[in-house]
Amino acid sequence: MNIKEYIASGVIESYVLGLASDQERTEFEQLAAQHHEIAEAKTRFELELEKQVFASAVHPPAGVKEKILETLGEITNTVNISKTVSIEPTVTSVGKQGWLRFAAAASLILFFVSGYFAYKFYNQNKELTTKNIELKKERDSVANIASEQQKLMNDPNVMVVNMVGTQKAPTSSANVYWDSTSRNVWLVVKNMPKLASDKQYQLWALIDGKPVDLGLFDPPYNKVMLKMNNTQKADAFAITIETRGNTGGPTLEELQSMGKPGLQ
Amino acid sequence: MLQQRSDTAFSYLYDNYSGALNGIINQIVPESETAHDVLQEVFVSIWRKIESYDPAKGRLFTWMLNIARNASIDKIRSRSYRNNLKNQTLADNVNDPLNLQVIKPVYDNIGLRKIVSQLKEEQRILIELSYFQGYTHEEIAKVMSIPLGTVKTRIRSALIQLRTML
Repeated sequence: MNIKEYIASGVIESYVLGLASDQERTEFEQLAAQHHEIAEAKTRFELELEKQVFASAVHPPAGVKEKILETLGEITNTVNISKTVSIEPTVTSVGKQGWLRFAAAASLILFFVSGYFAYKFYNQNKELTTKNIELKKERDSVANIASEQQKLMNDPNVMVVNMVGTQKAPTSSANVYWDSTSRNVWLVVKNMPKLASDKQYQLWALIDGKPVDLGLFDPPYNKVMLKMNNTQKADAFAITIETRGNTGGPTLEELQSMGKPGLQ
Repeated sequence: MLQQRSDTAFSYLYDNYSGALNGIINQIVPESETAHDVLQEVFVSIWRKIESYDPAKGRLFTWMLNIARNASIDKIRSRSYRNNLKNQTLADNVNDPLNLQVIKPVYDNIGLRKIVSQLKEEQRILIELSYFQGYTHEEIAKVMSIPLGTVKTRIRSALIQLRTML
């Protein structure tokens, strides 16, 4: 179908003026929904017609309004009218312009206010969803750690080394889980104070009196399990405080806690 | 409170649209007393049916205008209206095709009628019968003894012509 020809066929005027048959109405509504040109042409004619009809308005005498209000009062007492009537701008006489502007301004304000709240609630919802996902992840990882920890503790090959605080840091404590077959080392920090940002903790294995680096770590959340470097052997484990990214040996003056395998 | 609010909304509708709607009612129902009764019916009807107004289908005014036109046509076609008219009505003439040529609307000096009166006679009669008196295309075809398709085409071209005069 040629849209331009359809628009020019008089069908728009016929539809708007209420002269179209049911079949023509249905067809017109479908086509107007599909082609914005048709919908726009319809609105143009509506506005032309509106202007014409307003230009030849005949104001009813006072008293008609009161009579209608009276009738409506009887109706609204029984019928609950809750629908908001959206008022559209019209071609009206000058005296009505003030009200029109007021209504337009009021609806604009309402629009923006509701837009603001919609935006705010949308963001709040998004934030909560993200937080919820984070919490779930955390919960899952904690649950994961707990179950892994459980598995490790139940594994006969895994040795638990209880590290106790030194005199320097009597409250520091951690557990090392050492799998003697796979040589895997896990560290569970039970209590390690936070450090200055240029400092890190370091776990050492003492083998034949020599310290072997098992990895640097930041004071983590309590009970988080850290996978450290593997070691074949260890006479003892030790944790020291070192400069961030330490590549040298342990600063033994900063020994925080120590533990020996087999000594609980 | 609810009552108060709906009164305000009604006042707004009435203050803005009663003149225009009364104007169109007057073009169909010339007696102003009866026209005011129709206007009252129209506003009650608008108030009751406002929930069914669908902005997607057209402007609020178009919707109200059609309610006003339909109510006016219902009025002039009602038995009581016809009986009350002392003079012979236009509607009665429709049954006699020969009289169609002499149909002269009461108000042809204002509003839509003024524009319609500028159409060619053949077109003017079609708009008079269909828009102002509410006859269906089928009824017009029968009364004027012309094919339905021709009625449709002529009305459409009359509307296009009318639009250029708005």
